[in-house]
This record gives sequence, structure tokens and C-alpha cells, in this order.
Amino acid sequence: MGKYRKTVQIVILLAVLVVGGYAIGNTLFAAKEEGIPKIGEQPPEFTLADLQGNTHNLSDYKGKAVVINFWGSFCPPCVKEMPEFERQFEKWKDSGLEILAINLSEDTLTVNNFVRRFDLSYPILRDVNRKTEHKYGLESYPTTFFVKPDGTISDVFVGGMTEKDIDSRVNQLLQ
Amino acid sequence: MLALHNTKCECGHQNAVGTVLCESCGKPLMEDMENDAPLEMRYDGVARRSQKSNPNPIDKIWNFFSSVKIAVYLIVITLVTAMFGTIYPQEGSFLNNFKPSVYYEETYGLPGKLYYKLGLSHTYDSWWFITLLVMIGTSLVICSLDRVLPLYRALSKQQIRKHLRFITRQKTVYAGQVEGNTDEWVKEFSVHLKKKGYKIHTDGSALLAEKNRFSRWGPYINHIGLILFLLAILGRSLPGWQMDSYVNIPDGDTVPIEGTNYYVKNEKFTVEYYKDEELPPELQGTIRAKKYETNAILYKCTDNCGDDATGEPVLQQVKQQEIEVNHPLKHDGLKLYQFDYDVTPKLKSVSPMLVNKETGESYGPFELPMKDAPLDYTLGPYKMKLAANYMEFGIGEDGEPVTLSRDPNAPAFIFLITGPGLPEKGQPYIYFPMQKDKEKFDQDKLNASIADKLEIKVDGMDNVHFAEASTYLNVRKDKALTYVWYGAAISMLGLLLGSYWQHRRIWLRIDDGRLSLGAHTNKNWYGMRADVAYALRKSGIAVEPKSLDNGGNNA
Repeated sequence: MGKYRKTVQIVILLAVLVVGGYAIGNTLFAAKEEGIPKIGEQPPEFTLADLQGNTHNLSDYKGKAVVINFWGSFCPPCVKEMPEFERQFEKWKDSGLEILAINLSEDTLTVNNFVRRFDLSYPILRDVNRKTEHKYGLESYPTTFFVKPDGTISDVFVGGMTEKDIDSRVNQLLQ
Repeated sequence: MLALHNTKCECGHQNAVGTVLCESCGKPLMEDMENDAPLEMRYDGVARRSQKSNPNPIDKIWNFFSSVKIAVYLIVITLVTAMFGTIYPQEGSFLNNFKPSVYYEETYGLPGKLYYKLGLSHTYDSWWFITLLVMIGTSLVICSLDRVLPLYRALSKQQIRKHLRFITRQKTVYAGQVEGNTDEWVKEFSVHLKKKGYKIHTDGSALLAEKNRFSRWGPYINHIGLILFLLAILGRSLPGWQMDSYVNIPDGDTVPIEGTNYYVKNEKFTVEYYKDEELPPELQGTIRAKKYETNAILYKCTDNCGDDATGEPVLQQVKQQEIEVNHPLKHDGLKLYQFDYDVTPKLKSVSPMLVNKETGESYGPFELPMKDAPLDYTLGPYKMKLAANYMEFGIGEDGEPVTLSRDPNAPAFIFLITGPGLPEKGQPYIYFPMQKDKEKFDQDKLNASIADKLEIKVDGMDNVHFAEASTYLNVRKDKALTYVWYGAAISMLGLLLGSYWQHRRIWLRIDDGRLSLGAHTNKNWYGMRADVAYALRKSGIAVEPKSLDNGGNNA
């Protein structure tokens, strides 16, 4: 037994390191998962269809400045900020800004009517059964994430935004 | 210090550093020869595996965990911190929309705030608590290994003829003269011990009798069980090993179970209440549920599954069952428990008719679901196009109609109707399925001129479909539980082995007609002395069991 003693010691201590490290690491990681994604983190990936039926992956937009906005026609500040986003999109789209506006699982007719009413030109994505919304841990609407080209969040805004609010953040994104 | 100690016994055996009693003859090594107190027999006096004269860093870590003192400290710290976790409810015990950052301060004031800030609101998932468990686990493995291997070696090659000091310093001893042939006497003595279940080994006039050695492995088997138990608990953090979530399903709906590939349908929820005469007087007049159950269907998703699929999922029925309190639906480790219900009715669909008020003719009925209604309807000579719908109708600040929520609390539909007597581009008609909304928003006034010609209305309650109830199911999965039970069973087996049997040994040697006998057990000394006294009496030496006691705090 004596000559294996050292091997046995190392094997057991390594096993402890792996199993224990995994268990402890998990608790540290789980603690971070609560609430909505924060500045500096990567926003969760999603695959959603737009109104034309094309699918969009968040990962497709890697390398671009992206604004992810969650909205619903039932939420007055969301309704109010949509034209502001439209104007901002017109202003910055040539500089490479992308806006992904994710609807909060409403029906097709409602979303179509809404988009027609405000004449929105950026992609409107359709969440289904509140899945993406849950993934992002949203608690109130609207919520907007500003994602840098490197894929990390530069700012999170909860509540309705004015054009000025959007402008300053987009400016930062595109720098 | 240790390095200078001579570890070679006078019998010629080379012992490891830290040995208390010579591994071969049993001579006490590390103490004053004049001492006559009973010997410390723990682990048969062998050195712990890790005891070394010059430990390297790995040995030092090993030795830390090998210490029983450290293990006791770890267990005490874990017990105390586990107690902190019971002061206020843990975060995990709350359901939806629970904001711990607000809750603890609001409910318990400053202590609550501190409790939350210190992370005690999730004690059992905290990194330091898990760290303590991991350390206890490590200590269990290392402590056991360090002791069981040397002990096993010591017990499997025992020397029969022990050093005289080893025998006379046992806690149960006898010394006296033996007449006649000593070898014959030993033979006879051993026959009587055999009757008591001892295994006998003799070497001339020396004897070793041993019984129930397996009981020494009890604690280690117990530890194996505990390690399995701990690993199983840590295993809960593996993906897919444990889930405990809740789903709310309105009557007739099918919802996905998050984190699995399954969907569950609430075919029908039923609740039965106690009749007044069944209730005690103080509860009469209140609504008390007697029995509630969900007729549920479990589906497996075979295509378009998962969060990122965009099409309709393809479902395959797996199981249908009535789920009642304490009678969950079980499938493949997944358990669906009846948890709660909500009997507030929710409008699902209506089947209204289109009525020509002037002629009295009616067309339909047509099916109008509240969610995702079809866009086109043909009713007799009329064509209707759904132009807009509102889940909870309201008028916004700008005077435009808006919806106030995405649940059908006050649904409204705007149709564009074309047909005889109507403009070619169609005339809008707003329809409120619920009577209260019809009155509140004054449907006829909103519809103005068309209200005199046409009306959409529901004929009788048969044509109104409510989701009368929604059921709440608790979805659970715990793969670790099986291993927890195995661990508990093994640990119990070890406990039984170690506590219901005792390892008893008797050594004796006769030198020039003088008999020296020593006996050792790990517990129940009373029984040990009785065994020795019995065999001695049968061999012609009458002694009181009590007189064999050599002191040393024995029971």
C-alpha cells in the first residue's frame, strides 16, 4: 500500500477539488442568475420570428451595436417610446445600429395593428408564451438593453425612454 | 522530535512513526515503562496512515482533514450555521414575484435586512455552507481511509504470543497459576471459548481468541453511506437532476413544463366542497374544499421543441391521469403534484350570432376565441374581417382605444363588416363579449348607425365558454433522492454492524505455569468479562467476573 500512498492522496484531493469546486462554483454562479442581466454581462441568447416569419438569433448580431427592447401594446410607456426609437433608428441605422423590439407574447393581430399604426421599420420579434421574457427575468416593462459589439451589456434601462435618453446611450455604444 | 524516536521494537519489528503499540508483539512503545494503567487500544495502537516524520505540503493538507478534532469542529460549525437558516423563511419557500431584497426588510425590519445582506436568506445554497459540506465530506473520506487501512492490516496479521506488558495492561485481566500440562489446559480453555463463538488461534501455550471482528468495519460502512448521501445532495446542482417548479394551467390549456421536454394539459379541473352539515358550526357558511383534482395529460414534445423553436411544437401523448392531492402523476422521474387552484372564471371563447335587426334573420353562430381569433368570417350574405382586438379594452390618453393588459379581462373586437346595405369598404363594428363591458363602454353608442341594422350577440350561456378554473401543479424531479436513500440505508447498516455487535479478543500466555490473560472489546465490557469468567470457570478456575476488571472506566 505504501508506494501508492502518494498517488491515492493526490487522486482523492483532486477528486475533492473537482467535485467541491463544481458544487461551490455552482452556488456562486446561481447567485448571479437572479434578476435581469446586468451591465457587463452577456444577454441570454434567443431565437425569435419577426412579423414576416424570418427567424433572428441574437448571436447573428455579434459585432454590431444592438438595442434590445421589450414592449407590449398594453403598456403605455412602451407605446410612447416606440416612435422615439423609430426616429433614433432612422438617425443611427447607417452607422450600424440594430434595434430588436421583442413583443411580450401578444397575438398577431394586435402586434400587426400596432406596427402599422406607428409605421415601425426595425424588426419586431415575437416572443411566445413569455419564454424570452422569463429568460431575461423581466419584472416591469418596458425594459431596454444596450449591447456593445463585443456582446456585453453597456446599459440597462427600465421604464419609458425619451429620444434624448436613447441618443446618449447609442452614442456611447457606437464609439 | 518524532524523527529521533526509535521505532524498532525489542521483538525486532520495525514500526511506522506514530505507532503506540508494537504492531507485532503489542509492547507499549511510546511511554514510560513503569506505567501500569490500562492501554489505549484505539486502532490497535497502529499509526495513522498519514503520520509522517517530515510532511510535505500535500501531506499537510491531508493531515488537516485526517484529524478527528477538525472533523468535530466542522460538524459543529455546520450545525450552528444551519440553525441560522431557520430564523426566517428561506427565499426558496416563496413562489412567484418574490423580491427578497424588499421582503425581508419590510417584514422583519432591520434584523431582516441584515439577515438578507448576510446571505442567510439562502443559507443552504450559499457558497460557504456548501464549502462546509464539501469539507466534511473530505474529512469523512480521509479520516476513514487513514484509519481503516492500518487497522485492517493490524487485524489481519495478529501475533498470537503478545508481550507480557500488553496482556497485563488490558482492561480485563486475570493472572494465576495453572497446574499440570499447560498445552492441555489451553486446549480445554479454547473448547469453552469456541462454544461462545470465538475463533481460536494457538501457539503452544499462547492463545488468541477472537469474535465478531466485522463489527469494526461498521463505522467505515456508515461513512461510505454518509459520503454517498453528501455526494447525492451535491449532485442536485447537476443540470437536470433536480427541479421544483410550478405551472398554472387554465381548463383545457396545454402548457410547456419549463426545463423539460414535456407539456401538460389540464383536460378538466374539478373541485368538490364540503356541505354545510359536514362542517363544524364555526366553519359553516364558508367554502371549504373537500377534494380537488386535475384530469391531466402529459405530452412529450417530438418536434419544434425548446425555447428557440419557432413553429408549433409537435406533441405525443405519454400519460393521462387524475392528479389528486398526494397522488401525483409520475413519469420518468418527473412528478406532477396537485398544489392549488383558482376558480375565478376566465372567458375563453364565445359563439355569437350575427343578427339583422331589420329582418330578424340571424347567421351563425361562429366561434370567436379570445386569443388568436381567426381574421375572416363569412356569415350568410355578410363578410366580417377582424380589424383589431383588445384583451382589456380601455381608452388611452390620446383618446385611442388601447389594451390595458394581455389577459382577456375585458375583451373587445373590432370587425369590418361588408354586405347588403353596408358601404363597400365595410363598416366597423365593435363587439364586447361580456355584458358588463358592453354596458360600461356603451357598445351601441360606439357603433352608432350600424347598431340599428346589425348586432353580434350571444344566444344563451351555452355559447359562452369559460375556463372555469385553473389548476396549479407542482412539478418535481429529484434524481438525487434515490442515492440519498441508498446512502441512508448503507449508513444505517454500518451503524447496526458497529453497535449491535462487539469485537472481542482474549490473549493468554502461560510462562512457567503462570497464566496471564488479557481481554479487549470495543464496547460492553460486562459481556467481555462474563465470557472470560465462563471459560475460566469451565476450565477449573472460579472467578467473579467483576474481579477481572483492571480499571480504566469500563462499562
